[in-house]
This record gives sequence, C-alpha cells and structure tokens, in this order.
Amino acid sequence: MLAPISWLKDYVNIDVTPETLAKKLVGIGFEVEDIVYQNKKAQNVVVGKIVEVQKHPHADRLRVTKIDIGESVLQVVTNVPVEGGETIAVALDGAVLADGTVIKKGELRGVLSEGMLCGLEEVGITVDDVEGQKAGDILRFAEGTALGTPALDALGYNDVVLDIAVTANRPDCNSIYKLAKEVAVALDTDCKEPEIHFETAGGSIDDIVSVEVKNSELCPRYMAGGVKNVKIFPSSQKIKSRLRAVGIRPINNIVDITNYVLMEIGQPMHSFDSRELEGGRIVVRNAMDGETIVSLDGKNNRLDSSMLVICDSKKPVAIAGIMGGLDSGIKEDTACVVFESAKFARDNIRRTSRTLGLRSDSSARFEKGIDFASQEYALKRALTLIYGSGSGEIVDGIIDVKVDFAKEREIEFTTAQIRNILGCAVPKDKLISILDKLGIAVREKGGALVATVREDREDIVGVNDLAEEFIRVYGYRHIKPTLFKYASLTSAAVPDKLKVIDLIKDTLCACGLHESVTYSFVSPEFANRLKLEDGDIARNTIRLLNPIGEALSVMRTMLTHSMLETLAYNATHFNKAASLFEVARVYLPKSLPIDELPVEEDRFMIGAYGDSVDFFSVKAAVEEVFAALHVTAKYERSTRPYLHSGRSAEVLVNGRSVGYIGEIHPKTAKEYGVDNLRIYLAEISIDGIFCAENLEKPKFKAFSKFPTIERDLAVVVREEVLAGDIIEAIKGAKIKYLTDVKVFDTYRSAQIGEGKKSVAISFSFSSLDRTLTDDEIAEQTAKILSVLKRKTGAYIRNV
Amino acid sequence: MKEKLDGIKRDAIAMIESAETTAQLNDVRVKYLGKSGAISLVMRDMANVPKEDRPAMGKLVNELRTAVEGALNEKTELLAEREEELKLKAEAIDVTLPVDGKRTGTLHPLTLIRRELIDIFAGMGFSVDEGPEIESDLFNFQLLNIPKDHPSRDMQDTFYINDNIVLRTQTSAMQARIMTTQKPPIRVVVPGKVYRSDDDTSHSPIFNQFEGLAIDKHITMGDLQGCLQTFAQKIFSKDTKVRLRPSYFPFTEPSVEVDVTCSMCHGKGCRVCKGTGWVEILGAGIVNPAVLEMCGIDSGKYSGFAFGFGIDRIAMIKYGIPNIKLLYENDMRFLKQFN
Repeated sequence: MLAPISWLKDYVNIDVTPETLAKKLVGIGFEVEDIVYQNKKAQNVVVGKIVEVQKHPHADRLRVTKIDIGESVLQVVTNVPVEGGETIAVALDGAVLADGTVIKKGELRGVLSEGMLCGLEEVGITVDDVEGQKAGDILRFAEGTALGTPALDALGYNDVVLDIAVTANRPDCNSIYKLAKEVAVALDTDCKEPEIHFETAGGSIDDIVSVEVKNSELCPRYMAGGVKNVKIFPSSQKIKSRLRAVGIRPINNIVDITNYVLMEIGQPMHSFDSRELEGGRIVVRNAMDGETIVSLDGKNNRLDSSMLVICDSKKPVAIAGIMGGLDSGIKEDTACVVFESAKFARDNIRRTSRTLGLRSDSSARFEKGIDFASQEYALKRALTLIYGSGSGEIVDGIIDVKVDFAKEREIEFTTAQIRNILGCAVPKDKLISILDKLGIAVREKGGALVATVREDREDIVGVNDLAEEFIRVYGYRHIKPTLFKYASLTSAAVPDKLKVIDLIKDTLCACGLHESVTYSFVSPEFANRLKLEDGDIARNTIRLLNPIGEALSVMRTMLTHSMLETLAYNATHFNKAASLFEVARVYLPKSLPIDELPVEEDRFMIGAYGDSVDFFSVKAAVEEVFAALHVTAKYERSTRPYLHSGRSAEVLVNGRSVGYIGEIHPKTAKEYGVDNLRIYLAEISIDGIFCAENLEKPKFKAFSKFPTIERDLAVVVREEVLAGDIIEAIKGAKIKYLTDVKVFDTYRSAQIGEGKKSVAISFSFSSLDRTLTDDEIAEQTAKILSVLKRKTGAYIRNV
Repeated sequence: MKEKLDGIKRDAIAMIESAETTAQLNDVRVKYLGKSGAISLVMRDMANVPKEDRPAMGKLVNELRTAVEGALNEKTELLAEREEELKLKAEAIDVTLPVDGKRTGTLHPLTLIRRELIDIFAGMGFSVDEGPEIESDLFNFQLLNIPKDHPSRDMQDTFYINDNIVLRTQTSAMQARIMTTQKPPIRVVVPGKVYRSDDDTSHSPIFNQFEGLAIDKHITMGDLQGCLQTFAQKIFSKDTKVRLRPSYFPFTEPSVEVDVTCSMCHGKGCRVCKGTGWVEILGAGIVNPAVLEMCGIDSGKYSGFAFGFGIDRIAMIKYGIPNIKLLYENDMRFLKQFN
C-alpha cells in the first residue's frame, strides 16, 4: 500500500521525519518496505531562465546559452533549439540524474558548458506523473516560476511516499484513512475523520434507478447514489497528483473521485452513466452460463453461473466488484451518474477474478475483504467530493439494499488471560487505554472486562487478538525471556529413520564423497534421456499444475538424472574430478492422476568421475553403508538401459532389488554431454534396506586364541561364473572351521582354455578350543572342492 | 714378552681406530682374536712360559684380550650406527610433498546447520519429526486457519498438483499433523524441504525450513522469546540479541517477526543487515486457539507457541554465502569448503 505522507497529513498531524514514522509503524506491525522521496529521483536539477542564446562557434547544431538560476548565471551548451526567454530545467555541475548519470561541467567543442537542459526522462518521471509537460521535450515552466527551485519541486512532484506492507489480517488498512488512524496510534496523537458534507439539489434517486439484489449472500450490501447535470472536467491538481503518487492514472473528475475514495476509504466504487442502464434498473444476480460481457479493458469475458454480475433490465453492465462493462462507463457527455458502493463476497470475487484472468484495483480490495461500514461512508465521501468540486447536482435519497449485520461484537476477557498469553505484567489501565485508542471500547463487568469491537475489525475475534492489539502498542520490549517457566519437562527423541539417514551421510562422507542437494522436480524428459522402457514405473511421475517451467515440472521418481546433471555441471565447470552423494526423496504415486498422497521414498545416490574412481570405489562406498547398517547384499548383473551392460550390478537385499551400482552407458554419457567421461553411479533405496537391525548395537563374539590356518586354492571355472557365485556356494555349504573366504586373483591363459578362467581363493580356518590339524583342514578343503564342482563346475587346474 | 704384548695391543688398537667399515673391523677381529689370530697364538704359547711367570703373564694376556675386544665392540657399535644413519639419509623423502590421496568428504552446509539446530533444540527438550513434502491442502492450509480462497493464501506462491494436493509451502503443515495425532505436552522441531513458485536471483523454488512447536499448559510469549534467544545465541554468538515485532500469520495469534542482531557487525550496521544492525530471521507466535481447536486440542486448557525459519538463510548468514543458488548448484569447489 502506497501512502503519500501529504495525504496522511489530512487526518493526522505528523511532526516526525519519514524515517522515524516508518520505524514507529514497524513497531506496531506495519512494515515499511520503502520510503520514496519523489523529489530525490534527480538531484541538483533546478529551474532556470534562458537569458541569452548564441550560435556555437564550431558546431551548427549547438547553441551556447546563458541561464539565470537565481543566484548566478551559467553558460550551458545545448542541442535543444531554444530561442531565449524560456523557463526550463537545468542540471547543474554535480547533478545526479534519475538513471544515475552524474553531470559535470566541461567543454563542448571548445566552449565551456556548466550544465545540461533536462526533460521528463532525465528527472525520472513520465507525462502521467505531472501536468503540462510533453514527452520528448525539455521541461518547461510558466514564466515567473522561482528560479533556482529544484525542478521536481516546481513540478509539484515532491511528496514522500511510504510503501507499507499491510498484513492479510488488516484489509481495512489498505486505505489512507485507516492507515492514518494507525499512524495516530503510533505517534500517540489524534486522527481526524475525512470530511462528509454535501447538499442535495432535489430530484430523487428512485427516478434514476432501482436496485434489486437477487443473491444477497454474494452481495450483502448494495448502495447507490445519483448525480445529475454532471460536468466532466479534469480533476484538481491535488487529486491528480495524489492519484499519481499511488500509481493511478487520472482520467476525469468522476472516475477520479471513485478512485480517490477507493484509496482514501478503501471501498471500491463504480460509476455508471445512467443512460446505459436500460429500464433504469440495477439487478445484482448470478450470471447465466455462457453469458458474455466486454469489460472496460476491451476483453470479451465468457461468464458462468458462479459469477456475480451487475445488470440493467436486459444485460450485464459490470462484473461485480471486478470491472465495469465497456459501454456503461463515464463518457465526455455523461449527464447523469449512478454511484455504486457495494460489498461483495470476498471468496467469490477471488474465484471469479482468477477464472476470468481479470484483475483491478477494485477486485484486489474485495479479495482482501471490505467491511460493512465502508459502503455508506465511501458513498457519502464521494458525494462530498462531487459537491465540493462542482461536478454535478446530488439527487435526494440513497438506495441501501442490505442484509442484517452486527455493527459490533463483544469479547469478555480478563487481564490474567492476557498476561498468561504474553508472559508479562499487564497493567489494567494501560490495557484499557491502549485498546480504547485502537477504537476498542472496554468496560468492566464483575471481575472481568468486556471489549466492544466494531465490525470493521473482522480480525479481532478472541482474547489472543486483544492480547496482540495490546502488546503491539504497549511494546514487545516489555516481554522478558523465560524458558518453559511453568511447562513440563520433555525429553528429545529422534526417529530411527533420521538416525539411519545421518549414519548413511556420515559413512559416505567418510568414504570421501561430498554431499549435494538438488531440486526435487525435474524435466519429464529425464525418462527419455535415460532411455527408460515404456513400462518402467519410473515414468509414472506426478506433474505440477503450475510449474516454473517445463524443466522443473514433474516430481522425480529417481535421483540418477539429477546426479548426472550435477556431474555434468561440474565437468563443464573446471572440476577434473567429482565424487558426490545425495540423500533425498523420490515421489512414487500410488495411482495416476493421484488422488491420495504418494509414497515418498528416501534414497541415497552416489556419483563420481575422475582418475581415482572406478566401479569398485563406488561399490566400496555402498558396502561401507551396508556394513554400518548391518545389511547383507548380493549383486547380479544389471540390465538397466542407462548403464554399461558389463559394468553394472543390481543390488539385492533379502532377494529384492534395492538399487544399482554401475558405470553409465556411453550413450547416456553422450546424452548428458559428457561423452569423454566414465561416470560411476549407485542409487539405493533407504526404505528398501531400512529395518530394526540397522541401529542394533554389536554383540561381542569370541575369537580363537589358537593359530589361524590359511589355505589357498586355484580352481578353473567357466567365464560366466562370478566370484560372488563361488563365495556364495562356499558359504552356503557350512564348511567347518571356515572363518573367512576371499577371491584374490583371476587369471586367464591359452593353457587354461577359451571361455575359462582360473580363480584363486584364500581360506582361513580356526577353532575356538584347539589348533587344527592338517588332516582336519584337508578334509574341509576336499569338501569345498566338491561343493564348487557341483555348484559351479569348478575343478583344480592340472599343471 | 711384555713388549711383544704391548706391541700387539698398539697395533690392534691402531687398526681398529683406522677401520672404516664393519668388514674391515671383522678382518681385525680375525687377525687378532681369530683361531690363528695374534692373541690366540700368544695364548697358545703360554705353555712355553715358565710356570712361575704364568699367572702374571696370563693376567697380562687377558688384559690385552679384554682391551682389544672392548675396542672392537665399541667401534662396531659406532660403525653400525654410522651405517644406519647413512641408510636413513639415503631413504630421505620430501616431507613437504602434498598428500595426493582420498580425503574425507564433506556434508552439505544445509545438513551441517540442520544438525546444529537439531542439537540446540534437543537441549531444550524438542524431539525431531519429518513429514510429507507432497501434502494435502487440509494440513498445509485449512487446519492452519487458511481456508480456501482466503487472502492469506496470497502470502505464499503455492505449487499445486491438484485442487487438494500441493507441494508443502511450509513445514508448518506438520504442526497440524502432529497436533491431530499427539497429546500435549508436545515439543517438536520439523526440518524439511518446502516449495514456493518463486524463482529469481534471491529466491529458490525449493528451500529448507525449520519448524518448532511447543504445546503445553502455561506456555507464554516469554517462553517463545526465551527459546528463540537461546537458539540465536547458540547458533550465532553469545552476545546475540533478539527483537520481536508484531506481524501476522493465520495460525498464530499474536504473531511476530523475529530479528536478531547482525552477526556480521554485531549490531553496528553493515551490508548484510542493510545498515540496521538487525537481521530478520523468522516468524513465530502463540498458536492460534482456532488452530488448536481444529486439531482437537482444548484451547481452554492448553496453549503453545510455534516458529519457523529458513535453514538456507541461517546457513547463508553463518557461512557468508552470498547467493542461495550456490546451495543447489553443487559445484565441487563450493561443496569442498564445508568441512
């Protein structure tokens, strides 16, 4: 809400600087976002009179002028075709123009120039901001304007405008008058009411128009007043400059008055040319489905039955509270005006405005909420301005169609209640006087207090609201910090899932990976870039209705795409190596389109490229996590389309895939613009491995005091037999005394044969109660060999 | 005889002294103490010495032997030490060479701050909880006293999935979930991602909030201030001051904006605080009794406070990160800094 201080001063005496005023307003809950000094848009630009013009000795298009600025006469070289005698604006040496340009005196083609002639643009304003200036010309002033006056002041453009953020609970303060009342509270002074004074000139409103409200729920109050023998002319300078200061373009006296009242009282008004109200009727009703109206902005609107329209006896003439029809507005020859001052339902205006894509100052106010008291006040204020400006003759009578409403309500409370909310001492007399100043009368009733709240303070419904009204004026500085002085003790708890996530992050960090955080929404193209199959469930994404752009329009179902983009970003930003992880959620719909909340699954993602990383360094990190969480995994070749078919694994826990580890397919690398890189990834579902054992504390296991006996074996197997198969076969055979088994070498040669390989395995045996004998070990190795032969076709290599 | 022994001793000691290597020294040992070494020969000649002279002679020979052996051992030790020293010298490395191996990774600044915050509030008895990021309109808005088509919805630019499901705009959504499922006393913080359709140089459409909620008998605005002051002093510095300003949130009444003294300039005024000495960091207030009632908590019996702030903002202030976008770009040169 823009509030020119000069306007506020109509109602309240302000004897502090704008900065102090702003501070005080912030103190009572009105944040001042900006203080705009209109006349500081350009500095050191003053009114001067051209007293002499000569040709420039070296340039045909330049003139050398002498300009009288009151205290001195300057020489200014200009290309403006001035003749002499003009009163103009000149930027002096050191002047700062609106765009930040600093003017310095200097020579132009060998002749000293001590300034520059300025136009609207140089001082930062447009033709709409001031009177009587032309675009593209220099500023020109009336003969006799005091020389040396700052140009913007001479233009009357010298208000100070506060930009105040009005919170949603105070729609009433979207008006100069109500803000003035708050200013009075902030400055501890009094506030005047806007003047209401007019005389009627005979004739009756009933002869001009009748009003029928068919939907009083959407239009609880509709008031109308009439003005005849209207004269259309430009508004006074005061009204025009105030409207401009708050961003409204002046049109003519009638339209300007409705806008002025809108800003001053906060009540949107509308003016109809009575000629255009067929049958002399105003009917407020729901639109018919498919009914159309061309609004003032020239847009053809197709209406539906949820929308409220103002009609004459035949057709809609305005979309209620939002915009008038193109035809029913005020024209040059309008002779009789009907003023509408109505209250429309907030939510309905909001919906209609959204649906039609039509917004106006009026709809913005109605959406925030207008109180019942404003309609009458605003209408009378508009008629006062008509009367005062001689814009027409006011007819007798005002139409007022309204539902019953409570003008005020009562809230019973005690000072103890207020004290219990705030936690500070609440002096009763202070409480009563502050509320009184805010227009809330308080009386005592028995041991309690009763506050009477006017209808225009819709936000005050209970004791908490009264506590806030009190403390915002009394001052939060009166509240002293306590720490649960009267509350019970509680103990802090962290859910297991969060502990597990922290453990995963710490583990990955210890593995040398750096944590990244990426956006949860991605481009739907990710599925094609990763060449996901048509039926892949990762293609079932949840789409936003109003994304920022297509590139951020679906909720991700996997982290791989984000990681690839992050790695590609790093690769193109001078990072020779990157090793990253992310722990984040993916969003898996139960059905599409969704009608219930989706599953949000936690996952961890690893991504790395660079000299020191390979498949196994990523696998090592994954295994570190599994070890930390007491999870046992198996690995199988993966067939994911975005991965290298020979260097990727599905990760299985309890027989179910929980994710993958792998190098990306060269085609994937190309798709992400990193075809020169080998990128290694792993994406694992945390929910897939999350279980009670994750956080189990280890239990001590006894270890042998007798020597561990080690044996190595080299067996020949077919190429397809994986190390994992061999180890699994051995572990599955429950070999006695076996404490550890490792594959430590793989060897291929012509002697071993095509499609075969020799795998070297080491075994550790020990017993808790004695040293094992060679015979005992031999028995077990024989058993191992027979198991391997049966399960994997392995045999001892014949040398 | 004595002269002979003295001669042997002199020669032997001289040879020991001039030996440069353990090999040379071994030669000396063989020459004098070996089976056919000079001293051994003298010992063997003892048989020819007259009987009465033998004890005296034996003593002299023994003294000779001890002296030569002692000198040999001493020199052996010396040479061994010298040789070891030479060997170590030859193995010398440049200890200033940088280590080129893997180092520990880093946690994201948002995680670091989040953990610090959880610890701070745990110290005041707050548990941690999380909630869904894709949230129903009911929890994100309606139960927080923000009905559909209410002007206070304009305070946030919401991403919609459909009429009833949104990306949560505030971790406050968890307030309603917690209050509808738990009984007071409640003291909980909720960290998590939130979403607003706001994307410019100073806004990210995704950021992280940290919500706090305390419901109990007898909770006051003073407790809120005390709690926030404790938090601010722990996360910034001990001399941090807290200031409450009136504001508005639909789900708290009274509502406040909370400013802290600028941690950069300690309240003197600088670029970060735009010269005011204060930095706005969070919104808070007394839980609106209407919200308590909607969530099934007796507002006559219980009261509470709630607050919410941006983890991103705290991280930016604490680490001096100039632009929120840096947090989500994940440039290695950025991430590596936070260890």
